[in-house]
Amino acid sequence: MLRSIFLLLACQLAGEAIHRLTGLALPGTVIGMMLLVAWLGMVRRERPALVAVTGWLTAHLAVMFVPACVGLIDEGALLTRYGVGLAVATAASMALTLAVTALVFRWALARFVPETEGGEA
Amino acid sequence: MSDALLLATPLFWLAVTLGVFELFDTLSKRSGRHPLCHPVLWSTPVLVGLLLATGTPYPVYKAATMPLSFLLGPAVVGLAVPIWAERARIRRLAAPIALALGAGAVTSIVSAVGILSLFGAPREILASIAPRATTNPVAMAVAGQLGGIPALAAVIVMFAGISGAMSATPLLNALGVRDYRARGFALGVTAHGIGAARAFQVDPTAGALASLGMALNAVATATLLSIAALLL
Repeated sequence: MLRSIFLLLACQLAGEAIHRLTGLALPGTVIGMMLLVAWLGMVRRERPALVAVTGWLTAHLAVMFVPACVGLIDEGALLTRYGVGLAVATAASMALTLAVTALVFRWALARFVPETEGGEA
Repeated sequence: MSDALLLATPLFWLAVTLGVFELFDTLSKRSGRHPLCHPVLWSTPVLVGLLLATGTPYPVYKAATMPLSFLLGPAVVGLAVPIWAERARIRRLAAPIALALGAGAVTSIVSAVGILSLFGAPREILASIAPRATTNPVAMAVAGQLGGIPALAAVIVMFAGISGAMSATPLLNALGVRDYRARGFALGVTAHGIGAARAFQVDPTAGALASLGMALNAVATATLLSIAALLL
């Protein structure tokens, strides 16, 4: 358990270091995620503890960003001024992205993936 | 006064935040996890009310709840696990996944920023909406990097997730997309964790593809936006 937590923190720390050294806008956590994928590919073994720790973190993601959402308390002026634009842009972008992603996926499935895959559950 | 001091401790605000969240999480469970009953949607205004009622400035609350926010970092790193677990499927469906991911990430950024700029929004607001399709901690981090407002990004992402989870089924039916892999992946790319939770309710394959779409789009959108930040 502790080793899995260390692995997550070590990847995040390395990601943060790369982020700062390169000056990339890519967040350290995302770099850390890519480093962990690479690590899992290099050191192949079953990791039930890591799956348990990350499963717990992902399952409780919502409560972790509540403090950030409460930060809106200081953004009232922005919300009243651009609230409509934000709602319209977000909803339209959501619908367009959903449609484009689903249609491209379906097209590429038919075009590039052999028919035998079609029956996958 | 000692009670005034207690209001500034991590103990107090962590306990209150978890308590309020648990209350709304229980109600959300009772609703069968309806997207409109998402616990963040209801905990946020209640906590804002409590801060106002107690006269607590946000920076005090933010510092007090740091232990909770800190966990977002390792949680994002942990998204590597579902990506790795789905490696066989990623190989098999490499073309649809790569093409749909690229198309979806670009559509999401360009449409959100494009439409919002029609409303005359300044750069800090455009930067806050640009990562709107990613999972919340990534959206907040990317928005912060681009000069946006993390709190605004968090709320935009919540709204995108809830509206996506609610409209995906009718929208995808209208488009005639029946394949659960395409449906799930699209929902994860556009509506992150909230979309993935909805996809799992419908079909396990859709859920797995939605989780994958969420994790991959966190990387794709963050990468595209960091490249855009270098060029602009």
